[in-house]
Amino acid sequence: MSNTQARPPRPVESERTALKARKVSFSWQDTPLHWVPDDPFATHTINVLHLLLPAGERWFVHVYRQALPLIRDERLREDVIGFIGQEATHSQAHDEVLPHLAELGLDPTPYTAQVDWLFEKLLGDRTLPPGRARRWWLLERVALIAAIEHYTAFLGDWILNADELDRRGADPVMLDLLRWHGAEEVEHRSVAFDLFQHVDGSYRRRARTWATAFTALVFLWQRGARFFMENDPTLLDGRASLKDFYTGGKRGVLPPTGDLLKSVPRYLSRSYHPSQEGSTEQAAAYLASSPAATAAAAAEREAGAA
Amino acid sequence: MTPRLRTVVAVAGAAVLVRRALRRRIGTSPLWPLPALEDPVSGRPRSRTLALRVARHERVADGVVLLRLEGTDLPPWEPGAHLDLVLPSGLVRQYSLCGDPEDRSSYTVATRLVEDGRGGSREVHERLRVGSRVEVRGPRNRFPLVEAPAYVFVVGGIGITPVLPMLRSLPEGTDWRLLYGGRTRASMPFLEETGKLDRTRVTVVAQDEDGLPDLDALFADLAEGTAVYCCGPDGLMAAVEARIPAGSALHLERFTAGAPAAGDTAFEVELRRSGRTVTVPAGSTVLAAVRAELPDMMYSCEQGFCGTCRQRVLEGEVEHRDDLLTDAERDDSMLICVSRTRGGPIVLDM
Repeated sequence: MSNTQARPPRPVESERTALKARKVSFSWQDTPLHWVPDDPFATHTINVLHLLLPAGERWFVHVYRQALPLIRDERLREDVIGFIGQEATHSQAHDEVLPHLAELGLDPTPYTAQVDWLFEKLLGDRTLPPGRARRWWLLERVALIAAIEHYTAFLGDWILNADELDRRGADPVMLDLLRWHGAEEVEHRSVAFDLFQHVDGSYRRRARTWATAFTALVFLWQRGARFFMENDPTLLDGRASLKDFYTGGKRGVLPPTGDLLKSVPRYLSRSYHPSQEGSTEQAAAYLASSPAATAAAAAEREAGAA
Repeated sequence: MTPRLRTVVAVAGAAVLVRRALRRRIGTSPLWPLPALEDPVSGRPRSRTLALRVARHERVADGVVLLRLEGTDLPPWEPGAHLDLVLPSGLVRQYSLCGDPEDRSSYTVATRLVEDGRGGSREVHERLRVGSRVEVRGPRNRFPLVEAPAYVFVVGGIGITPVLPMLRSLPEGTDWRLLYGGRTRASMPFLEETGKLDRTRVTVVAQDEDGLPDLDALFADLAEGTAVYCCGPDGLMAAVEARIPAGSALHLERFTAGAPAAGDTAFEVELRRSGRTVTVPAGSTVLAAVRAELPDMMYSCEQGFCGTCRQRVLEGEVEHRDDLLTDAERDDSMLICVSRTRGGPIVLDM
């Protein structure tokens, strides 16, 4: 590309922070099926995260393990190692919600088995000859992850600021899971993009994989929300619609549709860098007060002292 | 109709038909068109502990207590499997399951009081009561029943526990023999149950009445390919090992002493693919030792929960100290940042 040199991504240095995984645990027994009170659609739209993330983040870790030998920068390498630990923990934390949903009468397995197939088979390791083909497939997946992380950071930033959920009395344990996760996504929002820039950085690939990731996310998300609404045992005629999503955004219980659309050209801008959005400071502040994260920190101190 | 208009109508008609077909397809199977992974990974409970209630705590022989632990929808198991019991003091002990594998609402184990042991069996005998809560992990199977033309079981005392479910699960007409030895008849649990089996195939030898069991006679005319299962004290297992004829496969289940206390010992780890051997000092980790040799290896949390440092184990008995791996994963892999050996060297595929 002719002008990649002219407008390179501009990271904001002050947004950098050291990454480490936190050993959190959540107890789900008191979380109701509709954890946003009287709003099954908002509940289930956010619940789609639990369907996609266990398999998706396991896949991130799987791909990054292969990408690690390509890294020629010590600092980035450390970031990626921290990223891997955090993503592995996220995947497990969301995975633990699934048996609880099944206990409440909403068995997610038909859907998660497909998500498992998507990440383990379709996007898994292909039998490719070592060399160019295998490297191409690895770079393609690294770029996909960078695009997906643009949205996880967007969602992380949204949930940290979604005060409306508190006002409506949403379940505190679920909010803590989402905000702990969101805060760590904001913390490490630059790593996937930095890795992509480091190993490849081609603008054409960035745009192409963005289109794939965005389409797939929209497809999987509407499908997951429909799946939950239709199978919710307490709803007679559960339906998910784009209109509900739009009004949910207006009320502040879901990400606003307008903000979601506005984030598209930002990722496609040549000078985009994830550190230009969101606030590491806000993420750190939440992690310092999150019940799960502070319990993890206390347990670690205790183990260190023993 | 102009040609242009005709095209528009044709395209619109086709679109309507496609839309209707798609709707119908999705209506009949809502999750079309994505295939599903046959063996789903997400949403499967990890190997977290289950808290079960002691429903029965009964002396079934001299120094032997039978425990029935009740729960709901318990994970299934196969004959030969054992359970990790996390005792009130935090000690972890393994006991073979000796109940009915079809029963998904309780697990049954039996333990012998070891007078000079390190306290695990004493705790089971004296601190657990009917109504106590006890945490369990597992079940896991290191002593599975393999397919074979004939079977010989040699057990000593409490070693009968893993074998009992095996005997019950053998199909009618299988050629099998059981030699069950013990110090005295009163000290041998489940004599009544073994009596219910085909008596012509069972030999009970109580040392105070009959002396030592005659292993030579037992192994004199073994059919080719006979599977020999042995579970009992070290002396018995050594004797069986020494006499086992060629052509028979020997399966041993040791009474493991359980995890050593906090003070770890040094041990060796062989990295087979890179052809190196490293020593893990007491107080250090396999990860640290391996990283000294292979600085590029993957790790992250260093506390046994992220799973990044998981490695395949080729040989050796691992004492798992992580919070992550499922039982199936524990059979052939370990998290090298926290887990250590149960005794002896470990061979890793790296």
